[in-house]
Amino acid sequence: MRLADARTLVPDLVTTSVEPQADRRLIETLASWCDRYTPWVAIDPLGSAIAEEGVEACSAGGFGGDAGLLLDVTGCGHLFGKDEAGERALLADLVERLAKHDFTCRAAMADTAGAAWALARYAEKQADLFCPRNGQRAALAALPVDGLRLDKPILETFLKLGLRRIGDLYPLPRAPLARRFGDLPLTRLDQALGALDEPIEPRRPPPAFRTRLAFAEPIGRPEDIAAATSRLLAALCTQFEQASVGARKLEIALYRVDGSVDRTSIGTSRPNRDNPKLMKLFEEKLGELDPGFGVELMILAAPEVESWSGAQDALPETGATTHPLGEDGTIDLADRLALRLGAENVVRLAPRDSHLPERVQVTAPVSQPVPEGAWARLASMKGARPTRLLQRPEPVDVLALLPDDPPRQFQWRRHAHKVVKVEGPERLADEWWRPRPNGRVMPANIIPPVRDYYRVEDDDGGRFWLFRDGSHNAAKWFLHGFCA
Amino acid sequence: MPAISPNASAPPVANDRGTPLPLPAELREQVRRLERGHSAQPAGQAAKPLGLPAIDALLPDGGLLTSALHEVEAGPAPSGRVAAHDGAALGFTAFLMSRFSGGTLLWCRQRSGAFDAPPYAAALSVWFDPARLLMVTARREEDLFWAMEEGLRCPGIAAVLGETRAADPTAGRRLSLAAEKSGVPALLLRPQPGPAQSVCATRWRVASAPSRELGARWRVELRRNRFGTPSAAEIASWLVEWSDETHSLSLVPQALDGPAGADLERLAG
Repeated sequence: MRLADARTLVPDLVTTSVEPQADRRLIETLASWCDRYTPWVAIDPLGSAIAEEGVEACSAGGFGGDAGLLLDVTGCGHLFGKDEAGERALLADLVERLAKHDFTCRAAMADTAGAAWALARYAEKQADLFCPRNGQRAALAALPVDGLRLDKPILETFLKLGLRRIGDLYPLPRAPLARRFGDLPLTRLDQALGALDEPIEPRRPPPAFRTRLAFAEPIGRPEDIAAATSRLLAALCTQFEQASVGARKLEIALYRVDGSVDRTSIGTSRPNRDNPKLMKLFEEKLGELDPGFGVELMILAAPEVESWSGAQDALPETGATTHPLGEDGTIDLADRLALRLGAENVVRLAPRDSHLPERVQVTAPVSQPVPEGAWARLASMKGARPTRLLQRPEPVDVLALLPDDPPRQFQWRRHAHKVVKVEGPERLADEWWRPRPNGRVMPANIIPPVRDYYRVEDDDGGRFWLFRDGSHNAAKWFLHGFCA
Repeated sequence: MPAISPNASAPPVANDRGTPLPLPAELREQVRRLERGHSAQPAGQAAKPLGLPAIDALLPDGGLLTSALHEVEAGPAPSGRVAAHDGAALGFTAFLMSRFSGGTLLWCRQRSGAFDAPPYAAALSVWFDPARLLMVTARREEDLFWAMEEGLRCPGIAAVLGETRAADPTAGRRLSLAAEKSGVPALLLRPQPGPAQSVCATRWRVASAPSRELGARWRVELRRNRFGTPSAAEIASWLVEWSDETHSLSLVPQALDGPAGADLERLAG
């Protein structure tokens, strides 16, 4: 029916345009909100139709029918009560809280995601929404076949054949069914009944370690949030200690009363479970968090952990061949700096076995030990090097008697420098054994493969490192560094 | 009842004619310590000698104070032109840093776009092992000074260096105080002569000088020496040369200084 026809029939029809992206955002927010119950929250993959325009909705059809969230609450019910009572309480809590945010929802719980999916959509009585343990076969028998998450053509054929209820499929022989309809109906049936495993793929990888703290009254003051973080951290550090691990990354999430979630995370360059040190890192970040109208729940999770014996603050090994950053607070300093300036801006300098000057110096992460004395060995093998190396060699105009002669004068950044002393040339050729990306056009600023380096001193005492492009007859000169 | 006047126990500092009497040595030391304000520093460990007697004699405690701020600026070339680069000042700073042994060296700098010329560790290795370096790149000056201050508070850091053009008196004061408190030296390297800051303990101006065989020869001026002995000249200035063989800095005899000296050398060689 077209909109014009609909308006003729119902003159005061309220219309709004479809906004699949907004729907998607809303369901994402809801999914984040559901993280309070379990880290295993997934957006129903069959509901993907709401994100992409023009895609025909699947079996249940239309928004509301196919948008859904799947929660794996295995082992989460005990927070609300014992065994089945706890799981029932969790379900009731979820519906009640969502109702407070003006969401009408149908939530069902069953042993399998498929059964819960069918119950949430097609259960007739409120009592049926909770399916007791191993009760899905009985619970599903009376539901329409639409509950099996099948495509429309299959469902229509089912209806033509008189297969109206899921229970009608139970006695049918499997082989002819598979031959006629393909694997899908049987797979869906087995998944719903629990004969086939159907894992829920969480939106974000569930952390191995997490602690939560719910508040009776929403909190909002920064000091309260800091105090709560401190308590969560203490609990998490105890967990770390029992498991002999240390955190590499920690994430704190604030669940605000308006249903939205704010997160921030900290990283450390080595496994850490030192409560005060981690707290100090968090103090830097907590200011970024916005508590909004109040925070009702906080969850601290460790998405990245590493096994760690905790042998910290030991005396440095004597005669060690590597130079790790000290345990004397240096690594914590590096973490603090990296948190504010970015990890790529807090680095160490590691040598690389190469004779090309610009390839010798590589930045290494703080946690990586740099071999002691490796730099000195490397430097002793090469000629004198500049104290500063230009990231990009800059072209200079050089005067020389003959093309192969050392420079007599060079002009760099509009200043002419008369050369009075020269040392060189030191010829450096390309590392032909190194693989390079094929078929790529060399950019104009690329360093030529064969270079003749000269150390020169101008009449003002300034010392420079120049090189001539040795691969062409045309004498092209570059400035590559400044000497002490 | 004897009246106790506030001056009763103080030593007389002036005689009847008003000429000052020399203070006792320990009192002078006390006054110096008060002035310096780093009483937490154990005596005798406060300064690291440079290994050049002529320079060390002028410096307080015979060397570079560990708990203070030191500035090194790239001076103009001998001809008076602006120096083309600060390679010499960087070398001298690296030499100063090498005096502070044991521990990590924090090197803070700002990136200057496409023309960036970062320090090259292969050359720095003649002064110290670059494995000790922790390189920090800050986008803004505030971040650079913040990183330096954080470094000064860390016990595992041997020295903190900041490369910056910014001359912020407040930041300089804060760095100086943090260095005094922790006993970790702070160094500032300026690619150009900046406005004078009163807080630094020493300020050096370093320019590269014409060398003999392209060695590292520098004109070093001590332009400020806050707690040290004033030199005879208005600005103490030396021509020094780094030797890779002896691995030390040495004074170049004044006779060999300048173009005439170069001729002498040629005659001698």
